[in-house]
Amino acid sequence: MSLEPRLSGRALVKTFGSTTALAGVDVDLADGESLAVMGPSGSGKSTLLHCLAGILVPDGGSVRLRGRDVGSLGDRERSLLRRTSYGFVFQFGQLLSELPAVENVALPAMLLGTPRKDATALAAQWLGSLGLAGMEGRRPGELSGGQAQRVAVARALITGPDVVFADEPTGALDQSTGHDVMRILVETTKAAGTSLVVVTHDAQVADWCDRRIEVRDGLVVGTAVRSR
Amino acid sequence: MNPVVALAPRFQRAGGRDSRVTTSLAITAFAVTTGLTLCVVGGLLGFMARADAPLAPGEDDIRSLYEILAWFAVILLVVPLVTLGGSAARLGVARRDARLATLRLLGVTTREVVALTLVETAWQGFVGAVLGIVLYGALLPFVGLLPFQGTTFSVSELWVGWQGLVIALIAVPALAGLSGAFSLRRVAISPLGVARRTSPKGMGFVRLLVALVGIGMFMVVSAIGGVFGAAAIAALIGSLAVGFAMLNVVGPWVLGVVGKVQLRRAKTPARLLAARRLLDDPRAVWRVVGGLGLAGFVAGALVVIPSIVDVDASQDPQGAILQDDLVTGALVTLVVAFLLAAASAGIAQASSVLDHRREIALQNLAGTPVELLDSVRRRSVLVPLLLVGVGSAVTALIMFLPLLGTIAIRDASSLLLLAAFLAAGCALVFAATETSRPLLRSVLADTVVRAD
Repeated sequence: MSLEPRLSGRALVKTFGSTTALAGVDVDLADGESLAVMGPSGSGKSTLLHCLAGILVPDGGSVRLRGRDVGSLGDRERSLLRRTSYGFVFQFGQLLSELPAVENVALPAMLLGTPRKDATALAAQWLGSLGLAGMEGRRPGELSGGQAQRVAVARALITGPDVVFADEPTGALDQSTGHDVMRILVETTKAAGTSLVVVTHDAQVADWCDRRIEVRDGLVVGTAVRSR
Repeated sequence: MNPVVALAPRFQRAGGRDSRVTTSLAITAFAVTTGLTLCVVGGLLGFMARADAPLAPGEDDIRSLYEILAWFAVILLVVPLVTLGGSAARLGVARRDARLATLRLLGVTTREVVALTLVETAWQGFVGAVLGIVLYGALLPFVGLLPFQGTTFSVSELWVGWQGLVIALIAVPALAGLSGAFSLRRVAISPLGVARRTSPKGMGFVRLLVALVGIGMFMVVSAIGGVFGAAAIAALIGSLAVGFAMLNVVGPWVLGVVGKVQLRRAKTPARLLAARRLLDDPRAVWRVVGGLGLAGFVAGALVVIPSIVDVDASQDPQGAILQDDLVTGALVTLVVAFLLAAASAGIAQASSVLDHRREIALQNLAGTPVELLDSVRRRSVLVPLLLVGVGSAVTALIMFLPLLGTIAIRDASSLLLLAAFLAAGCALVFAATETSRPLLRSVLADTVVRAD
């Protein structure tokens, strides 16, 4: 691991009207590290993820990816950054319903210029490695919740991103399936050398990550490192 | 009243901005449908009243011909009108499904869910019908300016009567409610309230066969029956209606075939997504471009009229009036058909953006460029638009061949006029679909993506 964090947020402040969502948050993410951001509803954890991912621009403080100031980028450049350097796994619904699983996974690679044939072959490999061989042609509506989330994981990783952001990735799943998805998410990102940020309110989900931070009222109120 | 159904107005008010947009669009569509339908029916009643009036001495009675032609115009406009009304009833289906699925989880019965939908769309239909009657009243003086049979229509000739208005106030909400409830039943809802999308079932070749039979029937009747035999005319009008309605049946099937071809050739993400969208739900794309298909059919059927009636006004003044009237009638029918097509397309496209807004917003959050999403939206309309517009016009030209002869194909001015109408129609419909662009931007501006 390099000494400089792969992703860092410094003194992050974000307000929505009179509500302060982030009141000066510092957070670092090392190469290949997985970080769980915990907290109750309205604590500011999703806003923190959005600021780190370049979806929202913080009102104060800075976000750096490999030393590059993300906050200074324009809308178009941040969109490009999200496409090239980040991967996303949301609670549900990010898969396009009209595309079969393999094309859902291939799409981010195609967006980066990979020819359709190569992107589809790569996507099929990813699906196979996540235990979804034979389901390439199924559409999201024909997959179980756990299978759909595994497709989303493959989709997030196909471009070889620096960081994967997962916002309540198991929120729509039962406990057993949720643990299965978390295991795959953590193991696969680690194997790929990708860092991972998981927003969750579930302590058992957070247990899968190397480190966890607790956010309340827009501030980090606690940090814990997983004992090995 | 059932307590769940009694809550319908509250659900309506609590829907937020998207719900207000959907409701406004639906009411506008119902209003346009009602207003234009009343104008068309008023025109038909006007011609029928004139046909029953005493004949002046020495005058040839061609008034029944006007009545027949008015029926033709009504049939040509009825399907686009029904299509627009249907689009309005289906507006925001995915959104409504998600909300109603949540209610199912809370213990609301299927019957109550269907009743809620019925009440919601029927209420929109009723408000639309009231506004449509106002629109009809506002349009009457302008419709009355159109010269037919050597004179303009009076407002009283175009008046559908109080009974007509009452029928509109009952029929529009009833049809809207039924159409809304029917569209709800076509979406499978899982116990978790997620409207599940599965691989689309292929549409049978039988659709094409049925359309060919309808068109063939029209051609045979028009070839052997002559134009003015009473039974033949009734059969002609009937088979025209069948053939025309068949366009609605065969259109989605043709679009599905186009989608398959596009999918095989797709190399870029935009082309792939556009092809998949077309293949996934050809009926939804038909709802956007079908209006133009029907208008293109009308154009193909009517554009030859100036060429086939060539009368010397000094020799035959009554024939000259008939010639002018045919051209006026054809133009009015065409303009109304194209306006209906544009309204249908705009509403269906807005509906599509709203129904896919969660997917669209999440794609954008994950870095999919806005330009790509715009390109997919545009591409999924443009190719089917051109294909359907031209295809329908050619179908009409072929269908009317026995009736009108080959003049439409031989006469360059007719073909040029047809091309000009189609180009203008495509531009108009495309412009209408572009009105959903601000809606797409507003969907993308929302970084807080909710399940519903």
